This record gives sequence, C-alpha cells and structure tokens, in this order.
Amino acid sequence: MADDILSTIIGTPTASTVVTVERGQLALFAGAVKDDAPEYRDPRAAADAGLPGIPAPPTYPFVMGNFGAYPELQPADAPTGNPMGAVLGPLMAKGGIILHGEQEFLYHRPVFAGDVLEGKGLVVDAYQKESKGKTMTFVVVETAWTDTTTGEPVCTSRMNIIHRV
Amino acid sequence: MRPATVRTLEEQNMADGVLYFEDVAEGDEAPVLTHTLTRTDLVAYAGASGDFNPMHHDEVKATAAGQPSVFGHGMFSMGLLGTAITDYVGVGNVTRFTVRFARQTWPDEELHSVIVVTGTRTEDATHLIDLDVRLVNAAGEEKVVGEATAKVPARG
Repeated sequence: MADDILSTIIGTPTASTVVTVERGQLALFAGAVKDDAPEYRDPRAAADAGLPGIPAPPTYPFVMGNFGAYPELQPADAPTGNPMGAVLGPLMAKGGIILHGEQEFLYHRPVFAGDVLEGKGLVVDAYQKESKGKTMTFVVVETAWTDTTTGEPVCTSRMNIIHRV
Repeated sequence: MRPATVRTLEEQNMADGVLYFEDVAEGDEAPVLTHTLTRTDLVAYAGASGDFNPMHHDEVKATAAGQPSVFGHGMFSMGLLGTAITDYVGVGNVTRFTVRFARQTWPDEELHSVIVVTGTRTEDATHLIDLDVRLVNAAGEEKVVGEATAKVPARG
C-alpha cells in the first residue's frame, strides 16, 4: 500500500553533514549561474556592500553539501549509507520518474566563505495525489543549516520531490 | 501581474546601483536578465554544483532516454533567476526565495527574468520588499515561477 510507504518515510532523517564553505567554490558557482558580481570574488567589494565576508549566491545552499564535507568534520551520529535512496527506493521500485517540483530557501543570514555549517535534513511531509491516471507522490525534505561556531540558524532549504508513476 | 505603467530605472533612482526602500513601489519591475542557454552552461553548472545527472550533459544518454537533447538543471534556472534578483536587490539581501519548476529548459533557448515588486513593508525596523519572480523563454513560456523577499537599506 502506498500509504504505508508515506507513513514510514515521514520523519526520516536524510542527512547530517558538516561543510566548510570555501571561497573558490563560491566564485565558481557564481560564474556557473552567470553572476559576475564582484562581491562573490573580492573581499573589498563585499566589504563595500556592507558584508562581513564573501557571500554565497542564493541557491548555493542546495549544493554546498557536495563540497567541503571533509571526513574529520562529520558527526559520529550522521545517518550512514544513502538515506534519500532508502526514502525513494520503495517508490522507484514501482517505476516512474522523480522530479524536483519546488524549492524554497529561507535565509537568516547569508552564507559566507569560511563558515562551517551543519545541515540536518528530514522528510517533513509526504502525500499523494491522483492526476490524469498517474499517481503523484510528493516528498518534502527540509534541511536546516546552522553555524557550528555560534549554533545560530543560517538557512533552511525545503525541497519538494515528485515521484510520478 | 503587470502594472499599467512601469517606472523606468531612472525613476526608480537606481543610478548608483543601490536599491533603497524609499525608492521601491509596488508594480516596479527589475532590470531584465537575458541569457541564451548553451550546453557549456550545463557542463559548467554540473561541475560547480556537483550534479552530474547525465540528462544534463550527456547527449547520448539523454536521447537514449527519449529526450530530444540534454536539458537544463532546474536549479540552474533557479540560480539564473537568483542572479537577476540579487542584481536588483543587492548581493546578500535576499531573505526568502521559493520557486516551482514548471518546464524543462533546452539548449539555445533564450531565457529571461521577469521580476515585479508585489509589496513593500517594514517589520521591526527591517525594510522588506516582496517580489513575484519568473524565468520565461522568448515565447513567454514559464520555466520557473515563484516569489522572493529581500531586506533593503533605507536612505535614512
């Protein structure tokens, strides 16, 4: 039963990752999203804009877990293996495709080069809709990023994944 | 929703490159960012994001999977729209950015941003502007549709 899958995945932790935010990666990412703003490349330009450091472009939090997650930084209690795979596996077993439906970021402050941030991900919701003879399963994953030095929240990323079969 | 009259950037006092709260009005439109998508963009985004889904860079695998060609990462579209937003409100000023991915993007498509001020408010001495944000192609098809909020300085 599909509903059984939904009730098992809500509340599943998807990640617990500590990342260092590196200056070179921010400039590279800014270039990739066609942003030539000097604030992403030159600390003097960032200071002129009133920023305490080189900031990350707005969508960088989506990818920052892919970089700078060095092994010695990782919490001992981090989920092991591929938790997202475990969440989506029972759905993918039915065939169909996975789509990124929606994405939201809430920023308490910008992410800056030199930050060491911890991201904790959780499946916060899962629900189904029937549409044009297809079953659409929505899985909402929220990742809360906090500053490991101050403990303060930095950014919350909310991703809505759609499985359509 | 497009207002009946659109103020020019000069009327919005953006000559010095800083957007001040007092100069923003509901219905204002941000400068349009236009970009024609290339396969090289997708390779660059794959490398800079770590997203190596072959549908975005491997034409052989994409066509074998029934796609007409490689297609853009949804997060590239959101990132490009983010660039247009920070160009307008200032780097480091966005407090919320949310989108729905409406359509795939394709190489050689001309993409442009449509950013309209939907409201202005002051909460706890913080000056906020709300934006309706979209990325569309030359035919006006919506690729990414959403909202953003930014904290902007006051002239004081």
